[in-house]
Amino acid sequence: MKFKAFLTEHGVNLLERRFLPALDKMGKICHLFLTRDHAIFLHNLLNGDGVQCIAQFRKEALFDDYRISSQNEDRIAFAIDVSLLLRAVRSSVSICTEFGNGPSANRLQIKLVKKLPLNCTQPMPFLTFETKGYKSAVIQDVPISKPLSRAQVLELQTALELAQDIPRTLVQVPDSNQLQNFVERMKQVGDLLNVSISKYGDLHVQISTTLITLGAEFRKLLVIGEQAEASSDDRNQSAQTRSERAISRGDAQRVQVSVKHFSRSLHCHLAKPDCTFYGIAPHGSCLTVIFQFFIPGTHQTDKSISLHCRLPVLDPGSS
Amino acid sequence: MSSSAVEAEAPDLVCQLDSVQGMVDALSAVRWKRHQDAVVELSEHGVVLIVEDTGCLQAKVYLQRELFVRYEYHAEGRPRFGVSLGLFVDCLNSFSAPGRSSMIEIQYPGPDMQLLIKSVDSLDACIYAEIRTRIPDTISWDYNFEPAGSTPLTFTVKSAALKEAIDDLEWPGSSIQINLQPDPPCITFKGEGHGDLQIDFTYYVNTDLVIAFHCDCQVSYRYKYKFLRATTSNLPSSVIKDNRGSKLTIGRGGMLKVQHLVSVARSATSHPHIDSAGHQQPSRIAYIEFFVKSEVDE
Repeated sequence: MKFKAFLTEHGVNLLERRFLPALDKMGKICHLFLTRDHAIFLHNLLNGDGVQCIAQFRKEALFDDYRISSQNEDRIAFAIDVSLLLRAVRSSVSICTEFGNGPSANRLQIKLVKKLPLNCTQPMPFLTFETKGYKSAVIQDVPISKPLSRAQVLELQTALELAQDIPRTLVQVPDSNQLQNFVERMKQVGDLLNVSISKYGDLHVQISTTLITLGAEFRKLLVIGEQAEASSDDRNQSAQTRSERAISRGDAQRVQVSVKHFSRSLHCHLAKPDCTFYGIAPHGSCLTVIFQFFIPGTHQTDKSISLHCRLPVLDPGSS
Repeated sequence: MSSSAVEAEAPDLVCQLDSVQGMVDALSAVRWKRHQDAVVELSEHGVVLIVEDTGCLQAKVYLQRELFVRYEYHAEGRPRFGVSLGLFVDCLNSFSAPGRSSMIEIQYPGPDMQLLIKSVDSLDACIYAEIRTRIPDTISWDYNFEPAGSTPLTFTVKSAALKEAIDDLEWPGSSIQINLQPDPPCITFKGEGHGDLQIDFTYYVNTDLVIAFHCDCQVSYRYKYKFLRATTSNLPSSVIKDNRGSKLTIGRGGMLKVQHLVSVARSATSHPHIDSAGHQQPSRIAYIEFFVKSEVDE
């Protein structure tokens, strides 16, 4: 089992400034799944009840000179502490910029090693970052779990495939800051959030307890996938009536999720996506948030990067 | 719900406000513990919110009708309803977004006697809330504050200095004595408990802190520290920033009245040019009053 690659400057920027800070908010530990073509960061795919978060990179997006080999079709997966990984990348970057002479001179190598730590009898696996400065080299070892077994990798692969189902209707939230701000304050009022999404382009979030109902409705959002024309009768109704009617017509779905999960998924904005879409997976199995990234300077989707979250549904609701 | 709303008479109150943050600030000032029941009284003059603690401490927030962009009052008498203060403030807070002014509409009652709040500044994004109200207690909460004599016993200090003094008195704790003496004019806060701490505001010495002083005879009363602390514990930061003063008056029986002024103007961030020009909106002030009963000497 071998893995060795060089992080590109772009790759380092993506990880250090954007993705690792976002993934760090999703949970302390994630799985890093490396294949011949992809590096994938996975949260909560094997142990079910939290927010699932999947960040997938084509190897060219992060690395050059990417070499991987294992007896399991060149697939390697292990658990890693995201905050430690972020610290290692950060300090490698600071060493590069401090001592390097030109971007080509200092290259950040990342590889899988087994080492015998102090006071241990058994060698332990590490992900090692090696930065070559002008006169010195700095090596940082980030401890990782034992690589996953063939069966566990298969389980991870299956979970990853299951997590790819795309909702039939997706709405684009234009101002995620506004939504995040609202949800942060909403957390004070209750724990359970009803989310309904209609084919008309309405996103309606609501907390309802015995003492209070607090909600926000965003209308006329861009719809991708199945859409429908809103009935003109609904225009003057309250947000709640509108959602009820849309659900009864089969034009909307509603699920209940944890407010904490919802707010956590909004932290993915630290990865600076260009667009954010919300949708409810078929049969109301989860609330899906898909983040879209553009090739810098264009409006074309960068297909080498993908990020999405799946929020567990607490109550199957109306669907 | 929609049909009954059409048939129903006009609600007691429909009002609109363009500074949610100001209202949140004003109401937060009387929030001294997690669970507080508040009584809200509506009238043609405005909205008053009252909270009370164990018969010893009462606070009132006066939101005059001038603070509202629109104020439509249709009730006869003065309708009152009970509401959880914490829930009300947390809910209002959801309507305020940093860096933008948000216009809200408040209506009472809704079809099920709820307090209804909704944002009205955008057609395509709307925030709404319905808060369950209670029937308030019938017992009178009036503290009957009366002046102690012919001349009022009163002084005005900078709110920041008052808050700092009361915060410092936490160390001796339990019971705080407030002493006013006319010659030389001086206010003394004195705590005796785990240790002694005395804070003097001398009128002629601290002219930048003590703005006004009226007292014709020496008086001295004791107050429970926790109630005194409640009067300044949640003072909004805008009060300190605006360098406002707080007025304290001692009434009959030693009842202490503490009055603060809280700005309910639009947030400064949305109008930096107005703020930098020193433009003031004098009418956009919420009045906050606390009444603290003195400890009875045995």
